[in-house]
Amino acid sequence: MAKLNKDSLKTLSFITYFIILFVFWFILSGYLKSLLLFFGLVSVLFVFWMSYRAKALEEDSLPLKIILRLPFYWIWLFKEIFKSGITTTALIWNGKYSPQLISVKASQKNRTGIANYANAITLTPGTVTIEVDKKTFLVHALSKKLSEDLQTDDMNKVITDLDK
Amino acid sequence: MSYNYIELISLILLAIGCFFILSGSLGLIKLPDVFSRIHAAGLIDTLGSGFIVLALIVYSGFSLLSLKLLLIPLFLIFTSPVTGHAIALFAHESGYKPKGKNKK
Repeated sequence: MAKLNKDSLKTLSFITYFIILFVFWFILSGYLKSLLLFFGLVSVLFVFWMSYRAKALEEDSLPLKIILRLPFYWIWLFKEIFKSGITTTALIWNGKYSPQLISVKASQKNRTGIANYANAITLTPGTVTIEVDKKTFLVHALSKKLSEDLQTDDMNKVITDLDK
Repeated sequence: MSYNYIELISLILLAIGCFFILSGSLGLIKLPDVFSRIHAAGLIDTLGSGFIVLALIVYSGFSLLSLKLLLIPLFLIFTSPVTGHAIALFAHESGYKPKGKNKK
């Protein structure tokens, strides 16, 4: 999907959103009867109409480009959560924590990317984003090692690359 | 006596999840201030619930049910940082200062 104009991109993201909603309905219900599938279609259409009315289908909130990279990103994120989770658990048990505030720069271009980065920081145990000030985050870290891990900028790069 | 390997694996995963929840609860009591305690709560949210859901997926076998179970950590990934951030921001705005180095 390299060279698409704006309208066709919008249509494509509508279709993707519709498919995601229907797959979600199917996972939750698991019915295969045609009547119930029809009812599912009706309810999906209703949700679609509501989110269209609420203007929730703008380009920024439906990042079509990153949707294929998301599973890999989640696997990577889970690895990061596991690593810093082990560190945090060790800190809790041995009591050698030294809480500190640091500021972290974000290099994402759009709002979704920045929210994504802030959420990823909070999601990894041991670091919490306290305040977001345009492109600088105020982050509370539980120990020096955790804050240094964050300042190596690895996570920032991965999430910036997600949106290329 | 024959071991059922699937049950054994899910038992081990459950034990790991329980250990993380125990550590998180301990951290909630032990850590010095609001900001540090959010870290402990985040540990329960991510690793504790993650490992327990993983154990349940292994135990129930791979079916539509395991897809439903996978939705739980997916929603937690989106909601748990929001709550953590909300608590931290409110504590920050109302003037709490994070405690520095602990001296026992």
